[in-house]
Amino acid sequence: MSSIAIEAKSISFAYGAKPVLSEVSFYVMQGEVFCVVGPNGCGKTTLLDCILGLLKVDQGEVRVDHIPLKNYKPWQLARKIAYVPQIHQRSFPYTIKEIVLMGRAHHTTLFTAPTAEDRAIALEALEMVGLADLAEQPYTQISGGQCQLVMIARALAQQPKIIIMDEPTAHLDFKNELLLLETVVDLVRKNGISVVMATHFPNHAFYYESNGIPTRIALMSDRRFAEVGRPCEVLHEENIRRIYGINSKVLDCQFDQHQRLRQIVPLSIIRESGRDKQ
Amino acid sequence: MAKRRLLYLIVYTLPFVLIFCTLLIGRYPIPLAKMPEILLHPFVAEKTAVPDVYTTIVWDIRMPRAILAALVGGALAVSGATFQGIFRNPLVNSGMLGVSSGAGFGAALAILLFNRFSPQVYVFALAFGGIAVFLSYLVGRIYNTTPTVMLILGGVVISSIFSAATSYLKYVADPTNQLPAITFWLMGSFASASRHDLVIGLPPMLIGITGMVLIRWRINVLSMGDREAQTLGINANFEKLLAIAFATLSTAGAVCVSGTIGWVGLIIPHVGRMLVGNDNKVLIPISTALGASFLIIVDNIARTITSGEIPIGILTSLVGGPFFIYLLKKTKGGNW
Repeated sequence: MSSIAIEAKSISFAYGAKPVLSEVSFYVMQGEVFCVVGPNGCGKTTLLDCILGLLKVDQGEVRVDHIPLKNYKPWQLARKIAYVPQIHQRSFPYTIKEIVLMGRAHHTTLFTAPTAEDRAIALEALEMVGLADLAEQPYTQISGGQCQLVMIARALAQQPKIIIMDEPTAHLDFKNELLLLETVVDLVRKNGISVVMATHFPNHAFYYESNGIPTRIALMSDRRFAEVGRPCEVLHEENIRRIYGINSKVLDCQFDQHQRLRQIVPLSIIRESGRDKQ
Repeated sequence: MAKRRLLYLIVYTLPFVLIFCTLLIGRYPIPLAKMPEILLHPFVAEKTAVPDVYTTIVWDIRMPRAILAALVGGALAVSGATFQGIFRNPLVNSGMLGVSSGAGFGAALAILLFNRFSPQVYVFALAFGGIAVFLSYLVGRIYNTTPTVMLILGGVVISSIFSAATSYLKYVADPTNQLPAITFWLMGSFASASRHDLVIGLPPMLIGITGMVLIRWRINVLSMGDREAQTLGINANFEKLLAIAFATLSTAGAVCVSGTIGWVGLIIPHVGRMLVGNDNKVLIPISTALGASFLIIVDNIARTITSGEIPIGILTSLVGGPFFIYLLKKTKGGNW
C-alpha cells in the first residue's frame, strides 16, 4: 500500500567550507510521520531546505515521488511538497482567507489569480484545521497557535503528498501544541499525507506512535543520522546520552486499556571531564 | 459586496472626472457649455466656431498636463505598492532602489553639461535612474540570491551615493541659471508639461503599470518572503526581478517627466489598504487610480493657489501628510 515519498541518497551539503550534512541517507514512506530530532545547530533545518529544494545538495541526490528533485520546476514541486515554517514573519494584515489562498499559487500562472475552484479548496483547507469561522479576520490579530494552523491550512491548500514542518510547536503553549499534534495525526490518518517534522521534542514521536500513526524518528548528530527507527526502539536513555550528552529516563505506563503512554524525561547534564560530546 | 462595487466604481472613474474638471480650471476661463465642442474639435471634419484659444488651452496645455499628472501619480503609487509588497515593508516607496536619486543626478548632470534645460535631461534622468536600480540590485546579489534586506541596504547605499553626487553638482553649478534649474527639477513640477513630455513619459509608465497590474496577485505570494514564496511554487528570484523591473520602468518614466515627487509612492498604497484591504489583486489597480486622482488634485492646487506655480513636490507632502493622518484616525489604521 505504501510507497516511498522521499528518498535521499548520501546527500552532503556545506555552507562554504563548513560542512553541515555529510552523506545523509534516508527515506520517508507515504503516509508516515518522519521526525528529525537533534541538538541545536546539528543541521535539521539545512536538511529540510535540501528536501524543499531551497538549497542544492553538493553531493548525492534527493528524489521526491521517485523523481530527482532537480527535475522539478518550483510549481511542480509545490504540488508534491508543502512547507510549514517554524515561525511565519507576518507582514501585511492579509485576511486568513487570502493567506490560505496563496497555497494555490502553483495553480496560477504569472498573469492569473486563483479561480473560484481554488477559493473553494482554500476554504476546505481552513475547515480542516477548524478556522473557517475566522476566514475574514486579519491574520495579524490571531494567536501564534492559530497562525501556525493557518500555515498548515495554506500547506493543505497546496494539496500536497508531503508536508514539511520545521519545529512547528516551537512557540506554542500546551494546548496549541496539542492542537497541532492532533491536526497532524488527523492529516496522516485521513489524507495519507507524509509529514517530515524537525522538532526539539522527542516526545512528539512517542505521541504519534501511541496514536497508532506509522512513525519513525531520526536522531541527528554531527552532520549525520546517528540512528533511525521506530520511536520505541530508538528513543532510549543510551541514545539520548549519545546525542545530547544528558541523562534521561524513559517512562512507560499503560494509562488506560487502549493507550500506552511513553515519555522521555531529561534528568541532568553529563559533566564528566574528557567527555566533551557537544 | 454592493458597497464594495460602488467604491471600485467611484475610485476608477474619479481620475477621468478629475481630468475633465482640470480642463475647466485655470486663469483663462473656459465655459462649460463649450466643452463638448472643444473636446470633439480634433475629431470632426467641419470645424465649428470654437475660438482657437479654447482648443489650444484645452488640447495643448491643460489636457497633456492633466494626463501626465494622472500617469505620474498612478505610476508612483503602483510602484510604491509593488515595492512595499515584495520587500514586505510598509515603509518603502517607489524610490526605494535609488531610481529617484539616480534620475535626479542624471538630470542635474544634463543641466550642467548642456547648460540649460534640454531634451537630454529626459535621457539622462531615465538612464541614471535605471543604472542606480541596477547597481542596487548588484549590491543585493552579493550572496548570489537577492535577500530582501540586502536589496534594501543596496538601495539605501546607492541612493545616498547619488544624492551626494547630486549635491556636489549643485555645489559646482552656476548659481545664476544652472542651480535654480536643478533645484526646480528636483522639487518636481508639471509646469512645463507638454505633449512632448507625454510622448517620452507615456511608454515606460504605461508598460510598467501594465506589467505590475498583470502580475499583481504574485506580489501577494512574494510578500510571504523568499523561502515561503519558493515553496509555494514560485520562482521567487525571477519574479522579484520582474516586479522590480516594472516598478523601475514606471518610476523612471514618471521621474524623467516630472522631477522627483515624493510621498505619493509611500502613502497612496496605504490609503488603498485602508479602503480595500491588503490583497494586491485589488490593491494594485486601486492604488494606480488613487495615485492618479491624488496627483491631478494636487497639481491643480499647485498651479492655481498662487499667482505663480508651487513646485508640486512640496505640495504632495503638505497635502498628503495631513490627509494621511486624517485617514489613519478615521480607519484606525486598517488593522496594522
